[in-house]
Amino acid sequence: MKCVIGGAQLRVFGRAIHAIARISDEFWFDPVEKGSVLPVFRCVNVLERNVEKCSISTSPSEHHITFQLLCRHGVVKTYNLTFQECDPLQAVFAKHMCPNILKVHSRLLADVMIHFPTSQEEITLSVTPMKVCFKSYTEEDTDFSRTMLTEIQLSPEEFDYFQVGVDSEVTFCLKELRGLLAFSEATSVPVSIHFDRCGKPIAFSIEDLLLEASFILATLCEAEKEAASPEPACCPQPWDSSRTGMDKSDQASMDGASNAATAAPKKPQQKGNTPSMDPAKPPSASAKQEVKNIPRGTERDVPGRAGAATAEAAGGEATEAPYAKFHSLFFGAVSYKEKEAIGDTFQSLVTASDTEEELGALQSSPVL
Amino acid sequence: MPFSAQPPASGERYALSASLDNARHLSSLLRAVHFQDHATCLATASGLRVTVEDAKCIQANAFIQAEIFQEFSVQEESVMFRISLSVLLDCLTIFGSSSLPGTSTALRMCYRGYGYPLMLFLEEGGVVTVCKINTQEPEELLDFDFCSTKVVNKIILQSEGLREAFAELDMTSEVLQITMSPDKPYFRLSTFGNAGSAHLDYPRDSDLIETFHCNQTQTNRYKISLLKPSTKALALSCKVSIRTDAQGFLSLQYMIRNEDGQICFVEYYCCPDEDITEAEL
Repeated sequence: MKCVIGGAQLRVFGRAIHAIARISDEFWFDPVEKGSVLPVFRCVNVLERNVEKCSISTSPSEHHITFQLLCRHGVVKTYNLTFQECDPLQAVFAKHMCPNILKVHSRLLADVMIHFPTSQEEITLSVTPMKVCFKSYTEEDTDFSRTMLTEIQLSPEEFDYFQVGVDSEVTFCLKELRGLLAFSEATSVPVSIHFDRCGKPIAFSIEDLLLEASFILATLCEAEKEAASPEPACCPQPWDSSRTGMDKSDQASMDGASNAATAAPKKPQQKGNTPSMDPAKPPSASAKQEVKNIPRGTERDVPGRAGAATAEAAGGEATEAPYAKFHSLFFGAVSYKEKEAIGDTFQSLVTASDTEEELGALQSSPVL
Repeated sequence: MPFSAQPPASGERYALSASLDNARHLSSLLRAVHFQDHATCLATASGLRVTVEDAKCIQANAFIQAEIFQEFSVQEESVMFRISLSVLLDCLTIFGSSSLPGTSTALRMCYRGYGYPLMLFLEEGGVVTVCKINTQEPEELLDFDFCSTKVVNKIILQSEGLREAFAELDMTSEVLQITMSPDKPYFRLSTFGNAGSAHLDYPRDSDLIETFHCNQTQTNRYKISLLKPSTKALALSCKVSIRTDAQGFLSLQYMIRNEDGQICFVEYYCCPDEDITEAEL
């Protein structure tokens, strides 16, 4: 593979690497033509004001990827980095199936985020067809007398595009978002936000003629709040049986999966949330979708669930003990058969696919 | 021993006495060589030389000529003592290290001789501070025996070309490899770190390079941890001269212009690293 990036685009590339660097030390480098994914370990900071041109080439036999920067004054910087090939991870996230879509200029988002203290880890985005609200997220055991809470409300008119299909409140990590905002400001392209109810991933993406970037973040499931409020904003009515099937399969996969998936505390997992950047191709990114549950015995609006909840709780019980907060998922009365059929499509992906079958199933799923 | 806030009358015999209107002219240069706690000061009629060494491999010298001082007098041929550079710098910047325009700290330095402490009288805005720093027996300094006749390769370039390179050096690399050659790659800085290798090539006709006298292709490696402190001197300087001799000893000379436009020099000498085996790239 060999590619050359010049001038202004190089600044964007450099900023993209910076944005990615906020999330992880390593990043994926995916040359579109080959379709293989080559993670580059600890990519050196190549952002350079003096750089005129950047050439990237690989020599697979030697496992080296070479970044050559042509700088001012005739200076040439050559970085030879080692890489390792590995199996691709696929994100299972259907952006086009999200009921809520907001499109806003990155400047507005940046202006909103600046009000939150830099130490603020997570924020909540709450939408109804009437308004959009960004607020700080606090855990239940927070000492409110010592905490500053910030809440910013925006009206739908402030958005370039506003679609709210389902009232929802999603909580995600702000730190990683700041990386994207810094990057998107360089490109001055509006940011699209696709999301669903809590627990489902939220995607922040930007797209222009030359590039497409997508940051998919996991969101926290605040199921308790749903149960408590008279009109659970998060529950889409009526329940789609395919959705419940998904939840059920999540439950099943969770039970069977290693404790790593469930062992996480209330916070959404951050590992594995990497943005990808490919010119003119839908990006594939990896995301860890956290599976969250509501406490057993919580009253729910939909009667069918309560019954199923108790039945399933036994399954969830086993893993409940070590964790301070463990909630069981919704699941209606879903047949075993249905679960199997949907399972492949909506499987929450944690590890790389090993077998061809699974890979085939994943590729057929509605990815971006 | 009581001492007054008044500096001693110039009639008294001091082995070394000097006055400087702006203490920053001294402190900024000393910072450029401050990679060890202790330094050896040598005062002669030409000026003050402050030397710092480490591991018997690297030596840095800061030269402040007598002309920089408003008053500089050395009674004997030379006066030499060892002193804590950290403490000396703390004293020189006792009124703060920020350089506000118009304000400066005035300095008067007195040294009675062997066994006596170094006295500093610092004044800013009418406030006077007196510091007394103990001196020690000077240690023997390395002699790199680097004279112009032994130089094999020499490049003088503008510091701005090297500043970013040094600031961004891959510190996971054990060595900094310097290649100087009459042929390509002419002048190359290389590191070999955990992620891979990095090379920085300067063509001989680059407008950053003022002088290019390379007679022989030489590639030498130096411990990067020893050379990294030279980044401070590089940051202050406008020009740097890079020279190597037949043994691969490296001399880096930095030309520094102070606030008043006066020229001072800082130099670093470094031994080549023999232990490191051939790098992969």
